[in-house]
Amino acid sequence: MTDIRPEAVGVTIEDVSLSFGTTQVLKGVSLTIEPGEFFTFLGPSGSGKSTLLRAIAGFGPVPGGRILIGGDDVTHLAPWHRNVGMVFQSYALWPHMTVRKNVAFGLEERKIPARDIRGRVDAALGLIGLLDLADRRPSQLSGGQQQRVALARTIVVEPRVLLLDEPLSNLDANLRIQMRREILELQRKLKLTTIFVTHDQEEANTTSDRIALLNDGVIQQVGSPMELYDNPANRFVADFLGTANLIDGRVEKGQDKITFQADDGTLIPLNGTGVEAGPGTAMFRPQDLTIRNPGEDADDGAVLPGRVQHREFLGSLIRYAIRVGDNVILVDDSHQAGRPVFDVGDDVALRLSVDQVRILAG
Amino acid sequence: MKITKRIFVQLTAGAVLAVGAVMAPIQAVAAEKLVIVTSYPPDTTVTVGKAFTKATGIKVEMLKKKTTAGIKYLQATAANNTSDMFWASAPDAFEVLKGDGLLQKYTVKVKGIPEKVGAFPINDPEGYYKGFAASGYGIMWNTRYLKAKKLPVPNSWADLEKPIYHGHVGMSAPSRSGTTHLTVETLLQGEGWEKGWARWKDIAGNFKTVTARSFGVPDGVNSGQFGVGVVIDFFGLSSKASGFPVDFLYPKMTTLVPANIAIVKNAPNPGLAGQFIEFLLSPEGQEVLLDPKIRRLPVNPATYAKAPKGFPNPFKDKSIGSAVKFDLQLSKSRYNIINSLFDVMITYRLDDLRAATKAIQTAEAKSKGNAGAMKLIKQARALVSKVPITAAKASEKDFNSIFKKKRKKATTKVTGRQAEFEQAWDTEIKANYAKAKQLAEKAASM
Amino acid sequence: MNSFSRSQWGAGGLALLIGLFLFVFLIVPVVKVVYVAFQDPNTGALTLINFVDFFNTSLFRESFLNSIYVAGGAVLLASLISIPLAYFTTRFNFGGAVLIQTLGIVPLIMPPFVGAVAMLLLFGENGSVNLLIDEWFGFTIPFMEGLNGVILVEAIHYFPFILINLSAALLNIDSAMEESAQNLGASGTRLFRRIVFPLAMPGYVAGASLVFLKVFDDLGTPLLLNINNMLAPQAYLRISSIGISDPMGYVISVILVVFSLFSLWVSFLALKNKDYATVQKGGGGLMKRDLRPWEKIGCYAVIILILLMVLSPHIGLALLSFGTVWSYSVLPDAYTFAHYGNVFRTATQYISNTLLYAGLAALIDVVLGTAIAYIVWRTGLIGRKWLDYIAMGAVAVPGVVLGIGYLRTFVEFNVPIIDKPLSSWWVIIVIALVIRRLPYALRACMAGLQQVSIMLEEAAENLGATKTRTVRRIVVPLMSGGIMAGFIISFATASVELSATIMLVSAESDAPLAYGIYEFMQSAAGRGPGAALGIVAVLIVGIATYISHRVIKRREKELAPGVAVAAQGV
Repeated sequence: MTDIRPEAVGVTIEDVSLSFGTTQVLKGVSLTIEPGEFFTFLGPSGSGKSTLLRAIAGFGPVPGGRILIGGDDVTHLAPWHRNVGMVFQSYALWPHMTVRKNVAFGLEERKIPARDIRGRVDAALGLIGLLDLADRRPSQLSGGQQQRVALARTIVVEPRVLLLDEPLSNLDANLRIQMRREILELQRKLKLTTIFVTHDQEEANTTSDRIALLNDGVIQQVGSPMELYDNPANRFVADFLGTANLIDGRVEKGQDKITFQADDGTLIPLNGTGVEAGPGTAMFRPQDLTIRNPGEDADDGAVLPGRVQHREFLGSLIRYAIRVGDNVILVDDSHQAGRPVFDVGDDVALRLSVDQVRILAG
Repeated sequence: MKITKRIFVQLTAGAVLAVGAVMAPIQAVAAEKLVIVTSYPPDTTVTVGKAFTKATGIKVEMLKKKTTAGIKYLQATAANNTSDMFWASAPDAFEVLKGDGLLQKYTVKVKGIPEKVGAFPINDPEGYYKGFAASGYGIMWNTRYLKAKKLPVPNSWADLEKPIYHGHVGMSAPSRSGTTHLTVETLLQGEGWEKGWARWKDIAGNFKTVTARSFGVPDGVNSGQFGVGVVIDFFGLSSKASGFPVDFLYPKMTTLVPANIAIVKNAPNPGLAGQFIEFLLSPEGQEVLLDPKIRRLPVNPATYAKAPKGFPNPFKDKSIGSAVKFDLQLSKSRYNIINSLFDVMITYRLDDLRAATKAIQTAEAKSKGNAGAMKLIKQARALVSKVPITAAKASEKDFNSIFKKKRKKATTKVTGRQAEFEQAWDTEIKANYAKAKQLAEKAASM
Repeated sequence: MNSFSRSQWGAGGLALLIGLFLFVFLIVPVVKVVYVAFQDPNTGALTLINFVDFFNTSLFRESFLNSIYVAGGAVLLASLISIPLAYFTTRFNFGGAVLIQTLGIVPLIMPPFVGAVAMLLLFGENGSVNLLIDEWFGFTIPFMEGLNGVILVEAIHYFPFILINLSAALLNIDSAMEESAQNLGASGTRLFRRIVFPLAMPGYVAGASLVFLKVFDDLGTPLLLNINNMLAPQAYLRISSIGISDPMGYVISVILVVFSLFSLWVSFLALKNKDYATVQKGGGGLMKRDLRPWEKIGCYAVIILILLMVLSPHIGLALLSFGTVWSYSVLPDAYTFAHYGNVFRTATQYISNTLLYAGLAALIDVVLGTAIAYIVWRTGLIGRKWLDYIAMGAVAVPGVVLGIGYLRTFVEFNVPIIDKPLSSWWVIIVIALVIRRLPYALRACMAGLQQVSIMLEEAAENLGATKTRTVRRIVVPLMSGGIMAGFIISFATASVELSATIMLVSAESDAPLAYGIYEFMQSAAGRGPGAALGIVAVLIVGIATYISHRVIKRREKELAPGVAVAAQGV
């Protein structure tokens, strides 16, 4: 399958704003998506991620700001002139057409000669492995098959950009994992600039080159999945991606050391790089802590005394909720058979590596 | 009844209550109410009914049915009759009911009503139905229409045959309207079978339309859909009285026939029905007929003293309705045949007839003095006027029974079916019209 | 288990009752009429000779072809009217949409014969329009002549059936269906032709087949326009002619019924397996777009033109009701309120009767419709589909046939207490209306029920509600939109019904509006009051419809997105 290979182009979004009535759904979003990149808009429902995707496809009201695809300003272009492929959440396969007709539709609209259409449709259906179902109606296909047809229908027209609007949300868990791999594989093969909308962080992390995390119509942070996880820009990012312990307090700068003093007085030592004194939030992940019996040595980092309030067995690890001062801190302890386990009510000491603590502003 | 209904209205408005609960409050209906099946419009029935209620205190319920539907209705409900009277124009409708044994006799007490109007006896000699007014058939026209189209006012049936009226005349069919049936029959009796039909076809060749309802004719003239209509007098007179730019006249050959009323057999209230007849024939009842919305000719000669100027008076003006001596028995003997013939030859073949007539009229205008052409035209005319059966056949008893409403007994042997005959006639008529058109066109090209 | 079987018993009993009702008031009367068609007119023996005669008679063959021509032509013209209206209102955001959706229904709430009277005055050979054209240009246009005149009047009267069904179908299309086509490069008319219209096809076919069938059976319009050579007028003329018992009228009735059933069946086949709404996931309906100013002007121009045309009967009627004398002139000679005064003095009983009859009939219709819908979709009763088929079959029975059947069947049945034959008791009019309008209500109720997920019912049962209580507390409230839609369409159309009721009215005081108008229109002085009564009827039914429409809209919002109302006709 080497004949479906358009030149990859980038997408630039400049200060895009959009309102429905009095509700501002996008509040000045700016982004650059590189050619050939697998880019994800991640966010909770209502964050504006789907609206932004639809604006790129040309659906909905014309937004403020500019949208450029491959350097061309498409902000005011009709959807049918943009040549961006979109896969809809509901697949939107036309029930009155066979699979083949569905896939051929876009080519016919582009006035491709009929003899070429057949070959290209077959190729696209071959690519997704559904050639033998070409004459079925969409209603006769399973969810996964419908999903593949929707994908084939979109890529067969060689769009400049591929837009995927929560394409996996109607599939069951196993199929979802399989499909996301297939989509990624296809994307790599076609080197097609792809924008993927999802509210599922696992989907985003596993597929994306980069993620833009949106909330309330504003981009919270852009970066690779690991950057976002390790260095969240704010509370929202930290909390949305994975589990985070967030403790409010302020950074105190002494002569030789810098510490974080939580509002309840708990002291957490910091390694001091790039931290300013003042109010802030200390963030660390449950796996950044180790749990010990009180009194056991702590060679470096902070030791926080606490009491087990709650315990969840998660298979490969045990998650404890430990009360430390006024805060409840989550701690993941890896689990192996025979390894000692703390009970609710036990007094424990938590050891926190200084390098893992991040201070989030305000 | 009224109370129950109001409850219903309220309930429905609320649209809440179950049907069963609503059925409970139904009570017996008051018996002191006269139910009259009539073909007359509310203008007549309401006006007369009000006058009657005022005079006697008896309530009247008018049930409006087209004459034909009224007969059907009385026949269908005879087993469980709820109607007291039948009130309509055409005497032959009453003959049908009488024949079916659906009427009962009544002897009038009021004095001063003559025996005849024109040449027609006012009351049924056997006493089953009574004439309360007279009606004659004539021609009405729309004055604006005639003026705009520059047409002269017609004053005889023969006028309507003239080419100048082509496409301007309207009439109802005898099968649809009892009054129209009388008009057709009158002309057939006055002119004879062959000549009468020839005249009708020549007039019909100028038809704009054959209306399905008798009121369709005055309606069409009133609104100007066509200019001239063949109607019963009160349609013309009441239209004029209502302000429409129309006028009416009786041609010489017309029949004045009584409009009638009768008591239905097994009527729930025969006593009240008798009172209604007496009222209708009393001087005050007769005067109501002069109301501008009704405008019928009273049967009491004395009432004409109160009529407006120019109102026709058949008891004085002997030219109205006396030219033809109407033979009711003859009419009765071929009633359904006439209806069927008219429909087959005219109503349902109007387009063909019109085309043939137009061709003949064109040819005649062109070929004055051309003997060869005139001969062809004469042939064409003969073809158009041809009637599939003779007058004798039309009155033949056995033949009529094919077209009859009900077989009297299962043993009555009848051969042939109406549809069969009609199809045969239709084939013949259609071919005749086509041939006539062809001949006329040939004549025109000579 | 116990409650399950008990509920099945309850549903079974209900089904039996409904079946009995349909049997007595639909099947028996129709069979009574049909039977005559198979009797030898001479001997009374059973025979097919009448049908042989029918097909041997050139007039009947011609009438048959004419009826098909008129019905087909009316469907075509009605489509030309309703497709743009439906498309504009479902596709664009503009103020005219509500206006069209409301005014678009108005033609239905006027008896077609009244429309024909008004249209003759406006478009007849010497009507206003032609008088003007003649004066300015010296020729006339035969709008109302012959079969084409019938097509014009019928299309203007019946196009709402297509408009309603098509609009509902368009609204049910998932916006993603359209967006994905745009995304692949389709736009404008191609998008409409290839995606939107095919998806709305089931709705269109449903509406179009109904128009076809209605026009095929319609009697009043051709009669008023003096067109005799069509099937329905032939049947009527032959059945009601003085003293003639020609079996041909009954033969034609049978042919009307059979042909109507046939066209129902064809549309049923065409729609089979095409219930696209259930295939689509997600929701939304067509996306609506704002119009640019010049587009708006164009849109309004098209719509105003169409509305002017479809409302011309009402305009003509209004002029007639206020005019003194209107004869061979562009407009009435002078204007007056006298006709309205006359109506309110003498004719109010027609109005209250109509509200009562149509209201009762529509109420019974939605009760029956809901019950049948529930039995068909939610129970496993054997033969339950037949309940649906028979109730729907009522749409194929011309009003005249039903009326004659009732007269023949129920004249000998005496109602106790009031001691009158059932056929001359006013309740028979209500029953006739119930039967005649049941198909409309049933369709709407079915559509309503189909949108209620069975899980919602199961949840209620799981929480301890019995079947009956579940139906009352969950199902009926959730399908209330569909029920209201059914009520409206039954009520509005029953209010103007004439064909069956004209045969059944046995006392003036029991007569409904349409009958009253018809009666007024039979005299020279009655034309104005008749028109005034017609306008009053249109206003009353129009206002009632509008209010119910608002109620539905409000409920729809409350229940959104679970229940969407599709006033799907049949």
